[in-house]
Amino acid sequence: MGYAASEQATAGAVSALAIKILVAGGFGVGKTTMVGTISEIRPLHTEELLSERGVGVDDVSGVESKITTTVALDFGRITIREGLWLYLFGTPGQDRFWFMWDELSVGALGAVVLADTRRLQECFPAVDYFEQRGIPFVVAVNCFDGARRHEPDKVRRALGLGGATPIVLCDVRERESVKDVLTTLVTYAVKGVPTE
Amino acid sequence: MTAADPGPLIRLFGLTGGRARPVGETFDLVAIVTTVSTYVQPVEHLPEHLTVLSLCRSPTPVADVAAHLRLPLNITRVILGDLRREGLVTIDRPRPAAQTIDERIYREVLHGLRSL
Repeated sequence: MGYAASEQATAGAVSALAIKILVAGGFGVGKTTMVGTISEIRPLHTEELLSERGVGVDDVSGVESKITTTVALDFGRITIREGLWLYLFGTPGQDRFWFMWDELSVGALGAVVLADTRRLQECFPAVDYFEQRGIPFVVAVNCFDGARRHEPDKVRRALGLGGATPIVLCDVRERESVKDVLTTLVTYAVKGVPTE
Repeated sequence: MTAADPGPLIRLFGLTGGRARPVGETFDLVAIVTTVSTYVQPVEHLPEHLTVLSLCRSPTPVADVAAHLRLPLNITRVILGDLRREGLVTIDRPRPAAQTIDERIYREVLHGLRSL
């Protein structure tokens, strides 16, 4: 059955690759703004239909009652070259959508946890989540105009982070600043992985 | 004619035959979809199928396909699973990022980010 794939892979063409990066953090912390600042396209929008019951896949009766809600999923894209893209996915903020995170995080290169120092506790769940799954992440402290600049060390202590996790101060509206966050993440994620 | 409440659901139902999951092996949100054959009878396919086949002549990630079709992800997946079963598209197997990013790709990504 797996006819075409292996032939293509040996045809000498470099296969296309999309790299996933997640942007997590509390509600209203600037996730969508961050994606929009760096994305070459206006953040794309799709939805996931949620089923109330995950069973009865072939049961065509009662379909309407199973589909209860949708989760919006916004993402942006950066084309590195033809066939190599970075995709930034804003993770759904509400706790009841944790299962979406599982799907999003499979195979992800890493994550940006956006933090607002006035509401630092809101990024605890994201920090816990990525730590537990061994997904490399950086904490990006969004410094709005006028917001007090926090020492990264204080943020590190408040979040109980180990010394290796990068903490970056940023302004999600500034392109250069977002680039800085992403290059930090990519470097950390790749260098943190043992090379063979 | 306008979208009364059940309209969108009926439309989605029609696209998937009421199925919630794609046939065959599961695939990731950013798995790359590539059209391998456009030799189809248009009358036997939904417009959405033909759109996918046209779009994925250049390899396209699943999430982009969903955004392009303006359809929910799982509906898009059912459509893609059907096209794969018919041998019209391939969908690459998701791999952990750590295994796919070698030094060369890493440098390309960094360089690409810096020159944005």
